[in-house]
Amino acid sequence: MSTVIDKAPTVFAPVETGRRPAAAVLALARFEARELLVQIPVFFFLLVYVGTTAWKLFSPREDMNNYPILHDVDRATQPGTLLLAVAAFICVNVAALRSRRHGTDRHFDVLVLEPWRRTVAHALSVVPLAAVTALGAAIEFGWAALKPGAVGHGSVAELATGPLVVLLSGVLGVLIARLCPRLAGGPLVVVVGFATLMVVSSVVGQTHWLTWLHPVVSETSNNPIPSDLLGRPAAWHALYLVGLSAVLLCVAALVSGGRTRLLKAITVVALGAMVTGIAGQSPGDDAALITARTKASSTPAAFQSCVAHGRSTYCSFPEWTGWRDDWEKVVDRIQDLAGGGAGGAPLTIRQRIPVVHQLEGDAAIEPLHTPGEVTAGTRWGGNRVPEFAVGVASVLVAGDEQAVSKMCDARVVTVMWLAMAAQDDPMTAFRHVRLDDSLSGSAVALAPTNPVGMSAEQTRIVRALLGRPLYGVTARVKAHWTELTSPRTSEARVAELLGVPAAKNGTGAGESCQK
Amino acid sequence: MPEVGAAYARVRALLPPLWRALPWRVLGAAGGSATALPALARLVSGGHDTAFALILLRSAEVALALGLAFLLDDPARHITVAVPTRRVLRNGLRLALVVPLVLLCWTVALLLVPGEIRPPAGDVGLEAAALAALALTGAAAAVRFTDEPQPGAVVAATLLAVTVLETLLPERCTLFVDVADPGWAAAHQRWAVLLLLTVPMGAALLPERIRRRRALAWTHR
Repeated sequence: MSTVIDKAPTVFAPVETGRRPAAAVLALARFEARELLVQIPVFFFLLVYVGTTAWKLFSPREDMNNYPILHDVDRATQPGTLLLAVAAFICVNVAALRSRRHGTDRHFDVLVLEPWRRTVAHALSVVPLAAVTALGAAIEFGWAALKPGAVGHGSVAELATGPLVVLLSGVLGVLIARLCPRLAGGPLVVVVGFATLMVVSSVVGQTHWLTWLHPVVSETSNNPIPSDLLGRPAAWHALYLVGLSAVLLCVAALVSGGRTRLLKAITVVALGAMVTGIAGQSPGDDAALITARTKASSTPAAFQSCVAHGRSTYCSFPEWTGWRDDWEKVVDRIQDLAGGGAGGAPLTIRQRIPVVHQLEGDAAIEPLHTPGEVTAGTRWGGNRVPEFAVGVASVLVAGDEQAVSKMCDARVVTVMWLAMAAQDDPMTAFRHVRLDDSLSGSAVALAPTNPVGMSAEQTRIVRALLGRPLYGVTARVKAHWTELTSPRTSEARVAELLGVPAAKNGTGAGESCQK
Repeated sequence: MPEVGAAYARVRALLPPLWRALPWRVLGAAGGSATALPALARLVSGGHDTAFALILLRSAEVALALGLAFLLDDPARHITVAVPTRRVLRNGLRLALVVPLVLLCWTVALLLVPGEIRPPAGDVGLEAAALAALALTGAAAAVRFTDEPQPGAVVAATLLAVTVLETLLPERCTLFVDVADPGWAAAHQRWAVLLLLTVPMGAALLPERIRRRRALAWTHR
């Protein structure tokens, strides 16, 4: 019994399906992205992010939001995205370890999609989340830019930083999952990383190039400066973040066993981009920028354009020209209330910035010597309006800003009344312009340059005046202008001239200037 | 008293396998980083202040809590569910084995911070205890309400998310305050409340759910 095989068995040629690994990676990335967005932490943090962004946009208390400075707003979109970055890190890490946790790793070995492509797909699943972040940043910025009071120029690189940080943290989550899969300790890495970062930054201090290695460098200040004086290497930083994300992704793919030529080439390119970014952002502020800042602070007139409106001249940096009308309204209202020569005195409103050594932190602006010249800051809206009014009124009464710091007499009453009576809601403005938000006792009233000290008695008189009808007080101020603006007039006499009854226990004379 | 003797024998028999089955890698990593972080305060030269030490100690306490989130992980859960020894006893023994080690870790961490910049030990300890209780309660809840043998990773991720969210709370109900802050005492009352709330909750969640088994029996009938 033998079987003769008379013809060779037919072997079917392998079916040419045309492998398209990229499509498979994208399909997996799409699936993982959907999974990621329905994770409770991601969903919750997204909710918090949207909530805080909406609160920032619609917050009723911050009137300064109506006058946004766009080259500060773009930077302000960055810190909020750190929340999403943490959520992305944790959830991508957990997702990348899902197969190991469920013991399905070896089932994947029979699939055609290699582990490293799977890793890449996990990293790509963060892209939609980064897109949501980009949308959030764009809405935040666009909302500010559409306000009529918006000034300045935003930067795309600053806006891109937030989404890039989310992307980076997602990639980092995948890398950690591949590097220490047994540990299942992604959260632990976050805590240890955070503490190490704190220690390292406390050790190295404020070295420029080390500071800029941080993903988010938000140098915030209350005194914005013109955008060409900022000197932030935002574009280089964005390149650094892109390069770093790509490098980490490539390392994760290499760790998972990817060895294709394309992957190696991309690694080299990404490394190059990262190094270029670091090299670009590392040099500190160059000498020309520092000189320009000093000049803009000491001799702002060379950088500014001026326009004459009515009695006064308004000078501002080129980016702030839109606010001159708002300044004019305040100045005109105060001058209409003032009597004597002050009502028609030509003032020069000069926008100024403090001496800028670094972007972070606040510095005071030195008062001006020139008679009739008033300082305006680089912010407007909210409390900045009555503060500017105090500056204008004190120059009208005292002559120049230097003299205001020596004004320790009853002229303070006239100054504060002029400034507050020109506000829409005098009593609220009076409360807020005082440093301790009080309506009684001695306090310091804020102004663009040096603050004005008020004694308890002066506060009482001003409060009484603000409670009365405007026309009556205006008539008295105009009638007695010369005496009211004389440094020799006593507080009791001022109260008498303005028709305010004397205090029961005549105290408080001259206490405003006690140090 | 044969019952007591039998229970004692059972515990003695249970201890060595439990000791072996503890998630040592994660616990070791958490304990190691919790002691290594405050050690940085000693290694790094320069006059640092209490706020710096506080950041390190808080990182240490969060790290410890993250490690404890993995404590109730039991890869063999689907097998051990059938053994006559109750889960309360098994998990209680796990706790009893690990708590002294965690206390040791915490003491070492606290002592590693130089004395002159060390924040109040009792208050920081209270924070650590509350966070640890929160982690263990989370782990107990995950074990009780899911069928997952190793829910630790998810619990740890949730704990970290909660910790990050805590820092966003408004000032009047925040938990992480600075030492110099006038709200330090009030914040630690909140920590104490958190501890007092989580401990009974965690204890209540330790036993196995009985109704679940009935439901399962119903479906398998």
